[in-house]
Amino acid sequence: MAAVSEWRVKLVGRPKDVSCPSVVKTQVIDTGLCCRCMACMAACPAAVRTGVGFDFEERKHVCVDCEICVRVCPRLDYKPLSGIGSYIKAVAGRSKRFKGQDGAMVTEILMSAMEMGIIDRCIFVGRDEDWRTEILHVRDVEQLEVPTLTGTKYTFAAAVPALREAVLNTKVGVGFVGTPCMVSGVRRLQKELAVFRRKVKLVIGLFCTENFYWDELTEFLKERGVDIKKLVKTDITKGKFIATMTDDVVEFPVKELSAIMPSGCRVCTDFSAVESDVSVGSVGSKPGFSTVLVREENAKEVLDFIREHGYADFDEVSLEFVERLCNLKKKREANIK
Amino acid sequence: MGIKRLKMPEYSFGDKVKWHAAAVGTAFKEAFFPHTVTVHYPKERRKFPDNFRGYILFDIEKCINCWQCAFVCPANAIRMKEAPNKKYYPTIDYAKCIFCHFCVDSCVGGALRTTKIHDVAYADVNEMLAETEQLMEPPEIVREDRRYVEYVIEEDDVRLRRVKGQDYLLVEPPPRKEYSMVCVCDDPESCTGCGTCADVCEHYAISISIEGEYKVIRIDTARCTGCGLCVKECPLRVLRLVRREGEQ
Repeated sequence: MAAVSEWRVKLVGRPKDVSCPSVVKTQVIDTGLCCRCMACMAACPAAVRTGVGFDFEERKHVCVDCEICVRVCPRLDYKPLSGIGSYIKAVAGRSKRFKGQDGAMVTEILMSAMEMGIIDRCIFVGRDEDWRTEILHVRDVEQLEVPTLTGTKYTFAAAVPALREAVLNTKVGVGFVGTPCMVSGVRRLQKELAVFRRKVKLVIGLFCTENFYWDELTEFLKERGVDIKKLVKTDITKGKFIATMTDDVVEFPVKELSAIMPSGCRVCTDFSAVESDVSVGSVGSKPGFSTVLVREENAKEVLDFIREHGYADFDEVSLEFVERLCNLKKKREANIK
Repeated sequence: MGIKRLKMPEYSFGDKVKWHAAAVGTAFKEAFFPHTVTVHYPKERRKFPDNFRGYILFDIEKCINCWQCAFVCPANAIRMKEAPNKKYYPTIDYAKCIFCHFCVDSCVGGALRTTKIHDVAYADVNEMLAETEQLMEPPEIVREDRRYVEYVIEEDDVRLRRVKGQDYLLVEPPPRKEYSMVCVCDDPESCTGCGTCADVCEHYAISISIEGEYKVIRIDTARCTGCGLCVKECPLRVLRLVRREGEQ
């Protein structure tokens, strides 16, 4: 890196009388395209300095007109990705070291990458007792003793803004795990800002049909007789939402949840996180196993490391189910206006 | 595997006489000129090196109220106390101080300096809190020493050298070398062009202008004083302070 005292930043080229938050507001949020990946929050200098949250009305007052939110928004100038994407190989895996939603392969891949020295920290989404999401920077295996850290929450989390903090503080690299929209957001950040390109070394995408807002999901679950305080695990298997509590199990068809599906998910066609380095999900493998789609060389090295050290059991994977869900989600293209 | 036994070497009669004589000789030598490394404090005092970490002295003229000493203190021994002129000056609690002298190292203006005084006595714990006024003068200590002792290290042995006269316990700090710094951008590709640096710069050294399709950010190195405010405020930490060109 050369130290310079004069440099240039390319402008997006927008009408002069429109501020950048209002570009995002009118073209993304008001049209219902926003997926809450919060890539704009991660880059916004005004949000960092003033502490303004994800509120574009409020952000207009603190905006410094740098256009970074326009540059990094994956849903502005939206090109929907779909299908299973390109991959080097597909395996089913079950970690021997960790316990998670299914095969705990996300935890295993991140911890192995940390052991290999590719990354020195990664961002996990934990939860409090009300199932609100919490971000945790994991820098040591011992931190994973918190049982609420692994497992799916089906709730939006501000993991990408946390990535900014991690990227600025890391010495080696950062591992990131998120839904397909978050992965797209991180890729846009990497395209626009060199510091993300250098420091985000491993991006794990999760198979995702949809995600929910915390308040709406908890309200919905309460109506179904789920006590949030006693809730231990949530899961979607074979078209059924299964909420496991300490003393009871509540099941209902997933289709009922479509009433509270956010508008950003209605227009999302990416099921398998096409842009990630490696995609992980439960679909397509036996119970207790996770499907792992290796897309990039760096992820392949991590998988080889896991295989070499015998940290996980591997099994055959049937990609028909994954493809079927990809096609199902592709039909949402019709919702894009 | 058996145990290997060592055989006693065979010495001649001449060797034995020689070594016995040497042992008796050493005994006589030690009786008249004892070879000891004990310092007879307080009659004599060890001569410590100039960078000895002893009692800390404070120069109010050089203090710039930056609080760095209080921030860095690992033992939390330093408290800042408000003076009548509305400025804050350090007080050191010697009951807590571990004499690491991080405060001396971190002092920007060179207001804190070290001495070779290590033997200050207090009647009770409350007295050990040294107020700012106390820190400005060296503490009163009783000196009974008539000579000082230097350690001379010879190959693999230590010898003492006793010199008459009192050692001077206050150390003059070496002259400080100051560097002129200037702000540069390390990573132009990560710059968002937000203009935070230009906003906070008090010397108008950073300017942002729009030229065609590009936003151009310029640092006027002649105006930059190297205060580092922009480096601290940059949201993506793309700025850095470097030594000005032509300085060693």
